[in-house]
Amino acid sequence: MSSLPIAMLLAIAAFAGLLWLLRKGKRPAKTAGALNSQEITGSRPRHYRFFPQIRQALSTADEEYLRKKVPADIAQRVRRERRAVARKFLSGLREDFSNLEQMGRMIAALSPDVNHAQETERLSLRLKFQFLYALVWLSLSTGRMPLRQIEHLTGLVGSLALRMEQAMVRINALTPEQNFHGLNA
Amino acid sequence: MTHYELFLTASITGLEILLCILVWIRHLQSRLPFFTGYAVTILAATLSQMYVIAIYGYRGSVTTFYYIWISYGCVLLARSATILELFRDIFKPYPGIWGLTWRLLAVLTLILLVHGAMDAQGQINWLAAGGLTLERDVDIASFLILATMLLIGNYYHLPIESIHKWIALGICFFCVIEYANSSVLRNLLAQYMSSGVATKAQVDRINDLWNTIYTAASAASLGSWCYLLRKPLPEPAKHPVLLPAGVYQELSPAINLRLRALNDHLEEMLRS
Repeated sequence: MSSLPIAMLLAIAAFAGLLWLLRKGKRPAKTAGALNSQEITGSRPRHYRFFPQIRQALSTADEEYLRKKVPADIAQRVRRERRAVARKFLSGLREDFSNLEQMGRMIAALSPDVNHAQETERLSLRLKFQFLYALVWLSLSTGRMPLRQIEHLTGLVGSLALRMEQAMVRINALTPEQNFHGLNA
Repeated sequence: MTHYELFLTASITGLEILLCILVWIRHLQSRLPFFTGYAVTILAATLSQMYVIAIYGYRGSVTTFYYIWISYGCVLLARSATILELFRDIFKPYPGIWGLTWRLLAVLTLILLVHGAMDAQGQINWLAAGGLTLERDVDIASFLILATMLLIGNYYHLPIESIHKWIALGICFFCVIEYANSSVLRNLLAQYMSSGVATKAQVDRINDLWNTIYTAASAASLGSWCYLLRKPLPEPAKHPVLLPAGVYQELSPAINLRLRALNDHLEEMLRS
């Protein structure tokens, strides 16, 4: 009989876990215009465009200057701040990635025929990305990763964004009524 | 029946009557016929059980014992039909996702039900311990199927109407609590039966506890549905305008290719 409270707690925890998972995924609904102009502006990648400024802020020349001209404690603080900027930028890139991946899911939802292998692969890629992102973030935070590594990452997200934008323009052209009310509840 | 048992039965019956009235007022019989059937079945089961108890008595009556289990079987069937109805209503407007998920959920259902039937078959007393085992496995199967359904809907951002979501969550809550309830009490019952030393007081105590937890879980589910139905429901969502098939066939592999490249690069960064 003593195991009953434990079983009840586990049952309530399972239900709470389900509620949490449902809540976690609740983002602003990609609704009527989800694949149309205004909504695309909101969900297409933005952060990668700031890379030139970020690159300037994290440049090797700046690093050299810090090492030679600035007292050690200030240089240390500046390095910490630069790492923080890089982490924020990395987080922005993740947001870009999520938006694009979410667009992929929305296209799948509105398609008459969906490929099982494609969907499974996208899900596994998403899980893998989250795991790898956490590791990269950790490496960056502990200073074990050179900042220049981010540059290539930015290029990849940027090219994906460009391709998606071109595709969205074509999708909009295919749907003259401009009304995907299926995702509008 | 003790006063306590009468109180539990009366409170549940009150909520079941209220639910049936609200279902009728909100015209759910045309929108959700299986859920309407479920609401009517649970009320009919409770009322008929009360009638059988009044005639044959509660404790020690074999007729009452069998009748309660049979009526509970009908409730389980009606609940399963409601789950199918929710699945159809949520996914059917999206043929791509429907095609993707129905096989997955059918296989999951089959595995869980076969496991439940095999589990129940090996019990000493088929209708008591076996019934509890089967009920427990149907409960966890219902919870897992509904949870999978809600998570897939959430993953693809499908618009799940509040009525569907509340019904699904209500059943999920009831099933997961009942699963824990039946798991613990089934073990106790099996212990008593195998040892043969159970006193009537011990069996009655288990019975009371099972009834209390069952009533509390039922009241929470029924209460949440009554609360939702207190106001008129919004109009059902319109069916979506689908994209041409070529869009998915062209874009999906391209997206996956890029995502794979991104992951490869992240891995490379970590290795360097």
